[in-house]
Amino acid sequence: MRMETVKNIVKTNLFRDSLQLMQLSEEAKKLDGVVDAALVMGTTTNKEILEKLNLLTDEGKAATANDLILAIRAKDESLLPRIVSIIEEMLMKPPTILQPAVDKMHFSVEAALEAMPDINLAVVSIPGRYVKEVALKLLEKGIHIHLFSDHVPVEDEVEIKRYASERGLLVLGPGAGTSIINGKAIAFANKVRRGAVGIVAAAGTGLQEVSVLIDKAGLGVSQGLGVGGNDVKESVGGIMTLDCIRSLEADEETKSIMIVSKPPDDSVLKKVVKFIEEETRKPFVLCFLGTKRYIPPKKLAKRMHSYRSLHAAALGMVKLIDPEKYKIAKSDISLKLSELKKLCKKLSGNLKPNQRYLRALYTGGTLMYESLLIYRELLGKDVYSNSPLDLKYKLEDSYKSYMNTVVDLGEEEFTAGRAHPMIDPTIRKLRLVEEAKDPEVAVITMDFVLGYGAHNDPVGAMQDAIIEAKRLAESNSREIIMMAHVCGTDADPQNSSIQEEKLRSLGVTVFPTNALMAFASALVVKRCKISDEKLKKMYNEFLNV
Amino acid sequence: MSEKIKKLFREELKIANIGLEIFYRSLKDQGVEAIQINWQPPPSLEKGLKEKLDKLL
Repeated sequence: MRMETVKNIVKTNLFRDSLQLMQLSEEAKKLDGVVDAALVMGTTTNKEILEKLNLLTDEGKAATANDLILAIRAKDESLLPRIVSIIEEMLMKPPTILQPAVDKMHFSVEAALEAMPDINLAVVSIPGRYVKEVALKLLEKGIHIHLFSDHVPVEDEVEIKRYASERGLLVLGPGAGTSIINGKAIAFANKVRRGAVGIVAAAGTGLQEVSVLIDKAGLGVSQGLGVGGNDVKESVGGIMTLDCIRSLEADEETKSIMIVSKPPDDSVLKKVVKFIEEETRKPFVLCFLGTKRYIPPKKLAKRMHSYRSLHAAALGMVKLIDPEKYKIAKSDISLKLSELKKLCKKLSGNLKPNQRYLRALYTGGTLMYESLLIYRELLGKDVYSNSPLDLKYKLEDSYKSYMNTVVDLGEEEFTAGRAHPMIDPTIRKLRLVEEAKDPEVAVITMDFVLGYGAHNDPVGAMQDAIIEAKRLAESNSREIIMMAHVCGTDADPQNSSIQEEKLRSLGVTVFPTNALMAFASALVVKRCKISDEKLKKMYNEFLNV
Repeated sequence: MSEKIKKLFREELKIANIGLEIFYRSLKDQGVEAIQINWQPPPSLEKGLKEKLDKLL
């Protein structure tokens, strides 16, 4: 008789990066006789996930973060030796497994410069503590940097940025997930058309959302410069924010400038506003994602417009540049409040009275944050999160939702030794099914971030979990409302229309912007019972321009 | 704007990708001229050995 069997093999002190391991896991799953397989570094996060997948044995449990765990569930024990030997062979091949394979690998900046003497930009994604040495070397050679790495010590960040600024070079990041330079997507970014809008962003998926919405409105982006979240803090003092504004002001292609960020520290805000006032002439759209709307000083009131959501800021920018396109964009991406209420009443019709809670499962940090700001107004302050606005509402355990919960699955506790959830859907798949088991859940929302760097079919990858979640609810005579927002364009490798269509065919309601989805989900949870006055005020604040 | 940034905005991008290969692949997919640098952490030396080496060098 055949019997499924689980085996863990631990390779002590063997390292492969999370993307390589994800790819190897996918290949291992396809082998004959394999029911499920995962190759992961032995971090706590990864061991918890193996446990949830029923792929963890005592051998795996004993592994450390420096060890690689090879976890296999085979159809039969007799098949294991052959499977293990194939996987071990795959694992020992040189770690270049992505296609197209790298033409030629270089091992130092000097060697790379010999092969390509006119390098003008470096994209750096190495562990933060090693960044300074590499970055200073690149800057010395006159090379601009997009710095994806995080955990760069702040004193290193300041030193690198000062050094760059003095030499007229850009350092975008650290922690910059997204840039668009000369129309090309750097790290995680979407394929958007080129045009007149210059963007400076200290918020990765924030830059993605506004650039996508601007593209959808028929306009384009001249440059999208991600400066990293720390840049607007007092410790860094806005060094690159100012340099980027200066560059976009001087850039002929750029007609107006948008700044997307969480609210800067006061001293930085003052510096930035003073700079805009004294050194620039172009119109500005500010999107400071904060609990209050920033009011520009009177002197700048005519050419500085401030909004509280990515949705409103993108629309505001379109209105500024092309009033005709604005009218079309507004009807494309917005719903009137009355329409929104009608939709939410329809959606919530079959909910049971005890289905009172929302679960938002985000992969994009800024999108998550934008939704928290909206939920705070519409659902109340007690919305729980692993990254809340107020620490009082921090989830005790990031893996367990409580009442209304908004989770950022890109936070460290979910990504230690794993690929980001925009690339690897495993964590969200498990979480979605967990949420569907909770009889008090009314709505589940999800973002799907497309573009270069992201999963090649993020909706397809979640499909089984969406079906399973719906089945679970139905088997308990419940219905769960599922909502999604796809942040992407049709020119992206994943094609946003195709992704949206897949979601609709799975019974998921799709929203053209994240803010609209957050607003709608809150209305469903509340069964539209929010005072008209408040609703109107918040609608004007977040969705109306 | 600094001359170097002005130049960057005008030129074709020529990129050195240091670290995650997925970004190299994305650049190639977009037709960007790119080169991959396979960065490795510097080997950690035992403290005593490092001191001796520093003295020698």
